[in-house]
Amino acid sequence: MRRFEATQLVSRLAGESPIVSNLGPTSSDLWHSGHRDRNFYTYGNMGLCSSIALGMAMGTDEQVISLDGDGSLLMNLGTVASIGREQPKNLTVIVWDNEKWGQTGGQTSHTGTGTDLEKVAQSCGISHTNTVTDLEDFEAAVSEALASSDGPHFIVAKIEESGGTTSVAPVEPELTLYRFRDTFVEPRKPGD
Amino acid sequence: MNWAEQIVKTLKDWDTSMIVYVPDISIHQVTSLIDADPFFRLVSATREEEAIGIAVGAYATGKNTAVFMQSSGFGNSINALASLCIPARTPVPIFINLRGGLGEFNIAQVPMGRAVIPILDQLGLPHYTLEDDDNMERSLDGAMKLCYANRQPLGICLTTALHGGKVA
Repeated sequence: MRRFEATQLVSRLAGESPIVSNLGPTSSDLWHSGHRDRNFYTYGNMGLCSSIALGMAMGTDEQVISLDGDGSLLMNLGTVASIGREQPKNLTVIVWDNEKWGQTGGQTSHTGTGTDLEKVAQSCGISHTNTVTDLEDFEAAVSEALASSDGPHFIVAKIEESGGTTSVAPVEPELTLYRFRDTFVEPRKPGD
Repeated sequence: MNWAEQIVKTLKDWDTSMIVYVPDISIHQVTSLIDADPFFRLVSATREEEAIGIAVGAYATGKNTAVFMQSSGFGNSINALASLCIPARTPVPIFINLRGGLGEFNIAQVPMGRAVIPILDQLGLPHYTLEDDDNMERSLDGAMKLCYANRQPLGICLTTALHGGKVA
């Protein structure tokens, strides 16, 4: 399964649901899958993608999707425990797992040497989990998660080893945040 | 109204209802009040940078948030501030129990405790240190106003002189 094709699928299935994307190629793939105001691209803060998504899921009743990566989530496994503790019914975490740190030279990550992120999620109290390796199973898992009202859902998507296959998306953290936030609140006016 | 009650009142005045924290014995005097108050949603994070991430996510959906942590844990949050909050201009009031000052008994708390304010200065983030209850209402209200106007994190350092601290 290729990440860009799978990202296009998520973008299509998500409707208006907020999507948070991990830094680097994951954000670029989301941008090229079709920019929308409810895409929250990240540009730094490696490891915090699903933490941001958790905060969003507690701030809104809408479905929230995190597009995380194996290397990034391994930096912050504690947030899987927090998701298990808070049990947000409207959160779906998708982990692109290529078993590598693709952006730093393709070094083998811990999921390539035996760490099973789905089992990590299960042991943290997340009951709806999947590990999928092809696009058909991925579509079924994401569709089920987004139609569900009893999340959280945690989907490990095994993808081909790949670096960036799309060109780099514009790096605009402030614009990203307030474009996103303005879909939830009244936009700021001069003098606010 | 004691210092902890004053913080709770100020958070309410600024409609700051999502509170993310990493437990600390001195800050517990505030977070226990927050936990008992249905106005708030109190979220326990496993680590301080995670707390910042959760707070930013909640802010992105329109909630005002604040974060509570100890000075040692502030060291765990620096990259989240530098590479997320600051470039995205996210207003997050950060209440920090400042260890390493008067009455500190633990040598391991001193270096990070003394580094908090220089680090905030290096990041260009405003900060205020509260030593006693005097003028707390005005100081806290002003700090929150500045935080949201500036749309950047702001440090509010709580000292042993204010809260009594942890005794060995």
